Amino acid sequence: MSDPATQALQPRLHQAQPGAGTAGANAATVGSGSGNSDPVRPGLSQQQRASQKKAQVRAFPRAKKLEKLGVFSACKASDTCKCNGWKNPHPPTATRSMDLQQQAASLSETCRSCGHALADHVSHLENVSEEEINRLLGMVVDVENLFMSVHKEEDTDTKQVYFYLFKLLRKCILQMSQPIVEGSLGSPPFEKPNIEQGVLNFVQYKFSHLAPKERQTMFELSKMFLLCLNYWKLETPTQFRQRSQKDDGTAYKVDYTRWLCYCHVPQSNDSLPRYETTQVFGRSLLKSIFTVTRRQLLEKFRVEKDKLLPEKRTLILTHFPKFLSMLEEEIYGENSPIWEADFTMPASEGGQLGHQTVISPAAVSGSPSFSKAVNSGSSTGGLGMEIGVPEPIAGEKRKLPEALTLEDAKRIRVMGDIPMELVNEVMMTITDPAAMLGPETSLLSANAARDETARLEERRGIIEFHVIGNSLSQKSNKKILMWLVGLQNVFSHQLPRMPKEYITRLVFDPYHKTLALIKDGRVIGGICFRMFPTQGFTEIVFCAVTSNEQVKGYGTHLMNHLKEYHIKHNILYFLTYADEYAIGYFKKQGFSKDIKVTKSRYLGYIKDYEGATLMECELNPRIPYTELSHIIKRQKEIIKKLIERKQSQIRKVYPGLTCFKEGVRQIPVESIPGIRETGWKPSAKEKVKELKDPDLLYNMLKNLLSVVNLRSGRTILTHPDAWPFMEPVKKSEAPDYYEIIRFPIDLKTMTERLKNRYYVTKKLFIADLQRVITNCREYNPPDSEYCKCANTLEKFFYFKLKEGGLIEK
Amino acid sequence: MFTVMAMPNNFQHVTVIEGQPCLFISQGNIMSADTKIAELLTELHQLIKQTQEERSRSEHNLLNIQKTHERMQTENKTSPYYRTKLRGLYTTAKADAEAECSILRHALDKIAEIKSLLEERRIAARMAGTYSDNDPPRKTMRRGVLMTLLQQSAMTLPLWIGKPGDSPPPLCGAMPASSDYVAKQGDKVAARVKAVDGDEQWILAEVVSYSHSTNKYEVDDIDEEGKERHTLSRRRIIPLPQWKANPETDPEALFSKDQLVLALYPQTTCFYRALIHTPPHRPQDDYSVLFEDTSYADGYSPPLNVAQRYVVACKENKKK
Repeated sequence: MSDPATQALQPRLHQAQPGAGTAGANAATVGSGSGNSDPVRPGLSQQQRASQKKAQVRAFPRAKKLEKLGVFSACKASDTCKCNGWKNPHPPTATRSMDLQQQAASLSETCRSCGHALADHVSHLENVSEEEINRLLGMVVDVENLFMSVHKEEDTDTKQVYFYLFKLLRKCILQMSQPIVEGSLGSPPFEKPNIEQGVLNFVQYKFSHLAPKERQTMFELSKMFLLCLNYWKLETPTQFRQRSQKDDGTAYKVDYTRWLCYCHVPQSNDSLPRYETTQVFGRSLLKSIFTVTRRQLLEKFRVEKDKLLPEKRTLILTHFPKFLSMLEEEIYGENSPIWEADFTMPASEGGQLGHQTVISPAAVSGSPSFSKAVNSGSSTGGLGMEIGVPEPIAGEKRKLPEALTLEDAKRIRVMGDIPMELVNEVMMTITDPAAMLGPETSLLSANAARDETARLEERRGIIEFHVIGNSLSQKSNKKILMWLVGLQNVFSHQLPRMPKEYITRLVFDPYHKTLALIKDGRVIGGICFRMFPTQGFTEIVFCAVTSNEQVKGYGTHLMNHLKEYHIKHNILYFLTYADEYAIGYFKKQGFSKDIKVTKSRYLGYIKDYEGATLMECELNPRIPYTELSHIIKRQKEIIKKLIERKQSQIRKVYPGLTCFKEGVRQIPVESIPGIRETGWKPSAKEKVKELKDPDLLYNMLKNLLSVVNLRSGRTILTHPDAWPFMEPVKKSEAPDYYEIIRFPIDLKTMTERLKNRYYVTKKLFIADLQRVITNCREYNPPDSEYCKCANTLEKFFYFKLKEGGLIEK
Repeated sequence: MFTVMAMPNNFQHVTVIEGQPCLFISQGNIMSADTKIAELLTELHQLIKQTQEERSRSEHNLLNIQKTHERMQTENKTSPYYRTKLRGLYTTAKADAEAECSILRHALDKIAEIKSLLEERRIAARMAGTYSDNDPPRKTMRRGVLMTLLQQSAMTLPLWIGKPGDSPPPLCGAMPASSDYVAKQGDKVAARVKAVDGDEQWILAEVVSYSHSTNKYEVDDIDEEGKERHTLSRRRIIPLPQWKANPETDPEALFSKDQLVLALYPQTTCFYRALIHTPPHRPQDDYSVLFEDTSYADGYSPPLNVAQRYVVACKENKKK
């Protein structure tokens, strides 16, 4: 707990605070520690004070304990006495009514209210165990604290809840029962999957393709985010209503009350059962609080950045804003899979990052074990102890594999694929800064991806991307309106040929949205677009980056963000009319003049410009566009390293293939000399299929070769040009044939081989067929009758093979 | 192999005589430049270590001075003993500081030497690329990369650190070059060229050669997309600063507020007329300038940052 990062990361506990809950006090909730007396760890002070006080009270002599309990116990002198608590006849003069140092009152002391002795109030406690007395005393301390809270709280909703809890605890002391919050609140968990699950799913969903190190970073961020949420003070229903005009806040009020009763108050009030916010609430609460919490969190980290440990600082300042933006999209997005009850990444069971299952044994060894990773997370963020994040499967014996990439998970592992250890090893070298030379990382190499700088800047929080739009039905946020004006300025400045009024009209049109690029709080670029969900496409209306921020890759990054946004909204086509200067840009962004969307779908929807070119971009929902160039770069690096390795192992040079020059159109891959030494193996899929059904293959080949039936038409044997190849070449006809041709083959021999079940794979069959042709070409001059036959027959049987699905079309 | 340090001029000469492809020679030079740079880096490393040693030594002396002062304070009067002692101490401290200073200057010289070797190598490689027909066509750099390189070069422009009493030399910050100054090959300049549409434009260019007989420069457009070579008279060339001026020590070597300048518009390779909005406050700061821009209501762009390297005096005061 001495880790300074822990302190900074621990959002301060709420202290009933004057001013909160009054009009416009939104900001008052940020790091609400104003009433705290402990400047070092304000977050725990209230909790600590409560437990200190409890320890103090529990150490009292029994007489004093009884007096304390008597105050909260009903008089039992007679059935008619309605007194529900002994009142000291000698109230202390000081305003502090609970002076702990006072001498204990004697049991015979009479109550100021009913006149009966203290003994009458505590008679029920005579035979009660010390343990139970201490439990009751704990409640007494909590009741006193709640009383203070009720007194100090100014927000009516919060005050009400405090008062309710106060009464509840009092009743429990009277009845010596367990406090249970009753009523219409329901009992935890309130929603499933809970926030924690959702956020962990999010990390899985979004980052499992990253390298282990970066994935770990994201995992740590998610833990930190969850921890923060558990200690974050929610805004009051009043504040909520003021902020979101469209929502009357009824649902939020229920959630807020639940949060007070089950999460917040129990933090300092341990008589009440305590639950973690992130474990009992789900997406709906997160939806209500995310925007505000995110702003407050970032603000807080920004303000307190100097208190953070340097490595934490970079983590937070670099990755957190992006992390939150991505999470935001999943929280508010309509089709986010992370909130599905049965969300599972194919690579894992239960969707928990900590519970990976082994898919490929190769994936286990050599990879950093996840238990270690979680531990390191807990040491930095103070996790594990406070929040109920599932610990990884106990024991160090079982090594946990690192999460496989999305692609890996979807695909059955290819036989003979590069072993995971090797990939990991290569990954280690290419991600290890010491192994990769280069003096200045700030200087991008000439072949750095176009969007590399922009991506880095976004990660560092230098630039932000927001999809915004005007609304007529609800009052737009002032910041949004400012940004819209900024966008209008950028567009009209950069697109001087567009009338300013026209730009203004579209940017502020409620059907149009704009992806805004923000730097230092100012708009420096954007893409204005209109979605036509019914037509399945989106029109790109304006697209510009302010002149002094151009050629930095922002345009590319903007478009990539727009692509990802649309994939989330299930629109997979962009259409735009590009003017002569924009065509180049759109081409670089994957647009083409070849329009696949049918005209009827866009005609009358899209704005038509004279002299502009209609361009289209089709999106692939499996591509993470903003990371694409990065992923490809990585893949290239890996392949380069793998080739280098192979080359250092094998030093052998084969002469190049000449058969293609000689007119051969296709040869089996395995016949390329040396290819097997490189580790190439025929793909497992085919092998599996063929081994599964040898009879099927036999029948197919038989059909192809000889059997005439109506469906397949002509066969190879009945082809008019097959005659030169029907039988083995006779030595009498061509005396030197067998000297020149080393592997003679003919269709009759092939038929026999087929009967003998020689062709266990189609490759063998195709290779023989091919040899018929190549032999012919080798022995005969190219313009001979034989070669002409060979040419037509070759065409024919490749056509047949394709038709039969034996080779790729 | 040739041991001559290739000066660009005799370099071409050699090529002609030997009839060898230039590339061959330039590679030799690149090799020797490499070893030379490695040597210089080692020396630089040693110098930095020496600086630290020097510093630790003077540390001791400075501490002594401090202690002496404290002791004098307790005695409440300055005895001749202390006076002499202090004088001695201060003399040593001054010598120490001068020694440290000279080592640091020496280190800076090394850095400058390394940079000039790198520059030479770059020019040689460029020449090789230009003159060899066997080479595959040079790939043009992506504009974004070019912009980053330009920013880098502005950032690494050395800061002029004069000795006390020295005044900033020509081409430090806003100090103009002397009237007979001739820019060297490879130097970056602002060059006034005629664009395709006949308009005059100030572009960022690199000097290829200067002919003393015609008094004309040959310059290459820095923008490799252009790949144009221009032959221009002296007055169409403004050399860029070779040192940054330190606003803290030499504010007179900076353009002042509202002064008319030519400044490189951010993310482009063209100079435009601009007014100084605020001069830099610290050595690494940029100028903030207002570009003349008729598309804004008041005729000027909002303040934009331009590095010292890319701000030069605007000669003509009349507007075109």
